[in-house]
Amino acid sequence: MSLIYRLKSKQPGFTHLISDYLGEMRPFAKRVREPHLVIPMVMLKSIEWAIYRWHKTPIRRFYGVKSNELIYMITNACNDRCPKCGIWERPEPKSQHLMISHFINCLKRLHHNLYQVTLTGGEPLLFKADVMLIAEEAKKLNVPMVIVSNARLLDEEFLRRYKALGHILVISVDSVEREKWNEFRGRQNFDIVMPRIMLAKQILGHQLRIQSVLSKESAQEIPKVIAWCKLQGIQHNTQLYQDFGAYNWHNAVTEKEMVDDGTPCAARKNICIYPNGDVVKCFDHRRIPLAKEPLGNIAKQDIIEILCTKRSTEVSKIMKTCNFPCKNMSCNKPQTLLFN
Amino acid sequence: MSALIIPAYLHTQWDIDCLDRLLASAQRQTKPLDMIYVVDDASPLKYEIRHYHVEHVVLDKNGGPARARNIGIERALKLNFQNLLFTDHDCILDEHWHEQMTSFLDRSEFAAVGGMTQSWGNTLLDYYHDINGTLAGKWLLPERKELWYMPSLNFGMKSFAAEQFPFDERFPTAAGEDVDLCLRLRSKYKIGFCPAAKLWHDYGYRNSISGFKKFINLFKKYKSSSATVYEGHTVLMWDSSESIFKGNMYESDIQA
Repeated sequence: MSLIYRLKSKQPGFTHLISDYLGEMRPFAKRVREPHLVIPMVMLKSIEWAIYRWHKTPIRRFYGVKSNELIYMITNACNDRCPKCGIWERPEPKSQHLMISHFINCLKRLHHNLYQVTLTGGEPLLFKADVMLIAEEAKKLNVPMVIVSNARLLDEEFLRRYKALGHILVISVDSVEREKWNEFRGRQNFDIVMPRIMLAKQILGHQLRIQSVLSKESAQEIPKVIAWCKLQGIQHNTQLYQDFGAYNWHNAVTEKEMVDDGTPCAARKNICIYPNGDVVKCFDHRRIPLAKEPLGNIAKQDIIEILCTKRSTEVSKIMKTCNFPCKNMSCNKPQTLLFN
Repeated sequence: MSALIIPAYLHTQWDIDCLDRLLASAQRQTKPLDMIYVVDDASPLKYEIRHYHVEHVVLDKNGGPARARNIGIERALKLNFQNLLFTDHDCILDEHWHEQMTSFLDRSEFAAVGGMTQSWGNTLLDYYHDINGTLAGKWLLPERKELWYMPSLNFGMKSFAAEQFPFDERFPTAAGEDVDLCLRLRSKYKIGFCPAAKLWHDYGYRNSISGFKKFINLFKKYKSSSATVYEGHTVLMWDSSESIFKGNMYESDIQA
């Protein structure tokens, strides 16, 4: 799967509008027993329908419970060259990289609803100063934060500040053996990164987690990673391989097994932001035709306005039953199924 | 043992008349209510209670109906009431309402119950609300064996459910807070429907023409609140539902 999509925005079509209208009116009209009242009643129902579809409230309120995760793919750029991942092949131009203030504003607007903000990439720590700004703001807003990193750019100062904020760091590790590590990372950096992981363990303690990607290529390595994590006392999570445009690795289980495993997809909880500020409900949104284009852009619109659009809510509705293999991605799993 | 909780924000004489009318209907119940909590949410108008078994709680600061109900819940739970019932000041209870609501809760496994709500007025707009089921709750489809949601104007909870699921006080007005509560409640329990527990809601339309603006504003208010709960409830929000009206109120085979 590629994370690249056309930038042209598209709203639900006219036929969709008509179908939605008729879908509301037909069953309603059948409820009216007196024939002479059918027209006035349908007119009133049409007014109600139009209000729900188009009325923009002067004050957008947004409460709810803390059941959403805000996931920011802060950059496509990466300092590793993992064959499993194609994201690093398409770093965003500097001109398209979102100003950090837009994301901070988005976080502030949503924080009542968030149980977590997650930074992913690419490699988030390429923007270490921005990451720390977000971490500090999340702490102020009482929103737990998770960074998914390759650990290459970790340093003591960052780790100590991060530890003090109480957030979680997830490091991606698919092998603990030098040769395989270097092959999986596409860089000869085992001897640089492993000491940094140990430093992270020493400073962060239980705030450090390890995540591995299970594929045919990594299948023999993952048990060793799990055993190593157990030895180190680090919580571990295995994520099934998903293709992000590289097409170099292969799933260890069939697509059918991935969708028939009985676990629910929790992707509808997600509010995902791309490096340029585009908003989607799931990073694998392109599988759903109505969700192909982004819902909006936080550099141009208020996030709540974006999430309250009809298309956004319709996409959420579709996602309830989409049941694609991407439900196995950590971001799409219910929290209770992670790091156990 | 049941307690009825009524949040009240009285800012016109019409509100006072409504509350008077509601309390009179509460006094006429075939099965008397053990306690009625009128929680005055710092109303600009004062009201003196002249009815039996009513505790008048006057808040010093306006916090919205969710907070007012939670204060009533807190007091009722302290006195170990088993069933906590809710209505609004602009409703009128059928004389069997309490009897039906409590007998449903006592005899069923449902943790909460909703009754049948109809319009008090006779305008076209009132008729619309009746067939639209605007405030009559929603069936959870396809089985229609439990409710997707029931507005808090005709609602009851067993004490353990009320203890675990109070109203979210971040909702400042009477819109959305009951949907939010029902969606959270349904993550653990079921909400039943008791068509025999009837009450009437007064939308306050004098006639279809003069009430039209009020009608529009009502749905604008509901639209704004629906936006508030969309993203908060990602799992239960999109279950299919169907609003209840006279024509489908008996379609369920719920046996209380």
